[in-house]
Amino acid sequence: MSENYNDKLQELLNTQKAMEDARKDPQNTVITKVLTFFIGDQVYGIEIPEVIEIIEVPPITAVPGVPSYIKGIINVRSKIVPVVNIRSRFGKEEIPFNDRTCIIIVSTGEVSVGLIVDSVADVVPVTEQHISNTPDLTGVNSNRFIKSILEMSDGIKLVLDVSKLIDEHAAEEFK
Amino acid sequence: MAKVEPGMESMLEMYIFETNTLLEQLDEILLRTEDANVFSQEDINEIFRIMHTIKGSSAMMGFENLQHLAHKGEDMFFVIREKPEIAKDAHFVYELIFEVSDLYKAEIEYIQNTGDDDYTPTDFSETFHKLEEATEKLKAMENGEAPSASASSAPAASAPVPAAAAEEGSMTVRVFFEDGCKMENLRAFLLLTKIKDEAEVISCTPPDVESNADTAKDIIENGFLVTFKGFDGNNDAVIKTIEGAVNVESYEIIDTPAAPAEEKPAAVAQTAPAAPEEKAPVQEKAPAPAPAPAAKPEAPKAAVAKAQDDIKKANGGQKQSLISVNLSKLDTLHDIVGEIITTESMVIANPDLEGLELESFSKAARQLRKLTDELQDTVMSIRMVPLAGVFQKMGRIVRDMKIKLGKDAELVLEGETTEVDKSIVDNLNDPLMHLVRNCMDHGIEDDVNTRIAAGKPEKGTVKLSARHSAGEVIITVSDDGAGINCAKVLEKAKKNGILTKPENEYTTKEIQNMILLPGFSTNDTVTEYSGRGVGMDVVRSNIEQCGGTLNVESEEGKGSSFIIRIPLTLAIVEGMKLKVGNTIFTVPISSIKESLMVANNQLLHDTKQGEMIMIRGVCYPILRLHEKFNMPTEVTKLEDGILLLVDVGGKNVCLFADKLIGEQPVVVKPFPKYLSQYNIKAQGLSGCTVMGDGTISLIIDVNNLIS
Repeated sequence: MSENYNDKLQELLNTQKAMEDARKDPQNTVITKVLTFFIGDQVYGIEIPEVIEIIEVPPITAVPGVPSYIKGIINVRSKIVPVVNIRSRFGKEEIPFNDRTCIIIVSTGEVSVGLIVDSVADVVPVTEQHISNTPDLTGVNSNRFIKSILEMSDGIKLVLDVSKLIDEHAAEEFK
Repeated sequence: MAKVEPGMESMLEMYIFETNTLLEQLDEILLRTEDANVFSQEDINEIFRIMHTIKGSSAMMGFENLQHLAHKGEDMFFVIREKPEIAKDAHFVYELIFEVSDLYKAEIEYIQNTGDDDYTPTDFSETFHKLEEATEKLKAMENGEAPSASASSAPAASAPVPAAAAEEGSMTVRVFFEDGCKMENLRAFLLLTKIKDEAEVISCTPPDVESNADTAKDIIENGFLVTFKGFDGNNDAVIKTIEGAVNVESYEIIDTPAAPAEEKPAAVAQTAPAAPEEKAPVQEKAPAPAPAPAAKPEAPKAAVAKAQDDIKKANGGQKQSLISVNLSKLDTLHDIVGEIITTESMVIANPDLEGLELESFSKAARQLRKLTDELQDTVMSIRMVPLAGVFQKMGRIVRDMKIKLGKDAELVLEGETTEVDKSIVDNLNDPLMHLVRNCMDHGIEDDVNTRIAAGKPEKGTVKLSARHSAGEVIITVSDDGAGINCAKVLEKAKKNGILTKPENEYTTKEIQNMILLPGFSTNDTVTEYSGRGVGMDVVRSNIEQCGGTLNVESEEGKGSSFIIRIPLTLAIVEGMKLKVGNTIFTVPISSIKESLMVANNQLLHDTKQGEMIMIRGVCYPILRLHEKFNMPTEVTKLEDGILLLVDVGGKNVCLFADKLIGEQPVVVKPFPKYLSQYNIKAQGLSGCTVMGDGTISLIIDVNNLIS
């Protein structure tokens, strides 16, 4: 009985050690967290530091004379924020808003923009080993707004580069 | 080199503000005296006071170059003070002082704009020499004209002159500063400066407080000794000054005026602790002393405290009722008031209350509305400043250009008490400067004979006027010069390739407004003041930035006027809410003339199928907002909706909307930065506002909508 007990203890210690080793391994250090959301079936992500908040879709006031992907402006606690429909921004067909549609407010320094997404999924911690290098597809449209690609057990997630998304020059090239 | 000593950074902003204000005052006095061509005693004293203050505060901040500059300027005025007549027709004096004032402004701007470590003090030695020369010249003039005058003149103010013999009516005071107040020598110097306003300073110990920082130690140990003689023998005023001075802990009056002169600064340091006891009997200040003789009667010690109390009270009563507040605080206050007004309508027009009869609620709501209106007015009025400050700066420009260009002209100011928002005033400075320069350079004729031939007075006039008109301030810069030569403008425009239609199709007004286009300049040669073709379009964009418009009116041979219209306040407007489809628009009430329902028989169609309406015999074009802004709506028949007759600068247009919702004061918010890349303003929208229910309404700028 006592031998059996010792074995179990040894086993437990080994697991603990393995876990500690795994923690020390830089490959496993959590470097950032990413808010993931759906556009159709594809999962996209935005790094948490760039996310201000997630809100339901309020009444949107249309503004004349802007590109069609800018849906208008909304009032977020007395701050006027422009909203962009990610679907039409990426050249996809727009779908009617439903219960799960929401707006992610992102900010890069001075500029805040609301992004209309189909639904938000999760906040996932990202470690070094998840990140696969962005393939160098310079000039290929779809790569424009992608900062990095995450390979995770539940599928591939594309992390968006918010500043490029907001910066109109990038969008001009996109066209 | 670091700009300021550690611990002084917080003072820097105050220093810059104060010095700039003083320099403006200086310019104003100089312009006035130059016109009158005589210095009154009052003016000279005022100039002295300004120079002293600048010198003192520059010294305190450690800007030695600025301090010396003021000092040299002071020296020059010292000569003038003795004999103001010599400054008559002495234009070099004005030139120099204006130069000094400009150098100051430049240096202060430099200090303001450079990083802590990049700052290197500018070398003013050239100006020093000029000032010294001028001082010599003035002295020579003074001696030449009245050799006897200098004999009775007082010794140079800052030079320590040992008063060997006790002068009649003089008084010596030993001043101690508060422990640990730092830089005692400069505080002593500041005190000395103040005393000089009231009295003639005969001597002080240590003598070189201004330039020698080591004297601070002496002053801590032995106090600061100053011997003076009040103007009109009135030493009380000086004592009061000493009492009222900052950081002065205590002072004592010593009745042996000769004593300080015998002491050498070095000796003081050695005999330090004993020094006060060695002095002749110490006099206490009586509560209400008569003009002080050399020896004064003994007074009880308690009286001193009482006297000080009295003086404190007196000072309290005279405290000025103005304070300077950081603009960002006002901006915050302004924002909060904006929020309150929005929130107020959220409460009062709350959808939950719809259809309820709430007598006491609406009574309270009305009361609240009244108070918030008042609050808003007050906050607005805090931010309102008269245009006088900006206008008066133009006097300086006219003066300088008059001399440089050799044209005779005067600046006439009108309505300079008109008040506008501070942020607008700040934005107006540059445009006005450009316009005034343009008037001087291009407007007023180069040759006086041309003016005489045209039957105009020899002296040209540049007029700056400001007035209120229906929620706007109208500022006009006009001259009685040559006016705009349309042929020349057209030719130039052709050369620059900015014509968009055949030459002969342009109206006079269109041609005149061409000069506001970028890259346009009719001046053949680039002068110091204009001709680079950047002026006018910069002026226009500056004015447009603060929501204003710029127009030109000119008559060839008679002169030209530049008319600036700017909104009185930028932030809160009374608006009328309109519904178009699902969107609520707000039109500023100030631009609405009337609203009306339309009957079919009033409608007219022009050749291009444009709709027009006949109201009381006058025809107005109709602008359908839903078409203009491409908003889907069910109301497309004119009879079903409502027309709003708006008026902008004489142009009338009827706006067609689905229906009127009501009026409400709205807080104008700019469109978010992200949208600024799309020219929404050109579409006729000036901003947006949050309404009571939290939705956003777009504010229509009727002016842009029509053009």
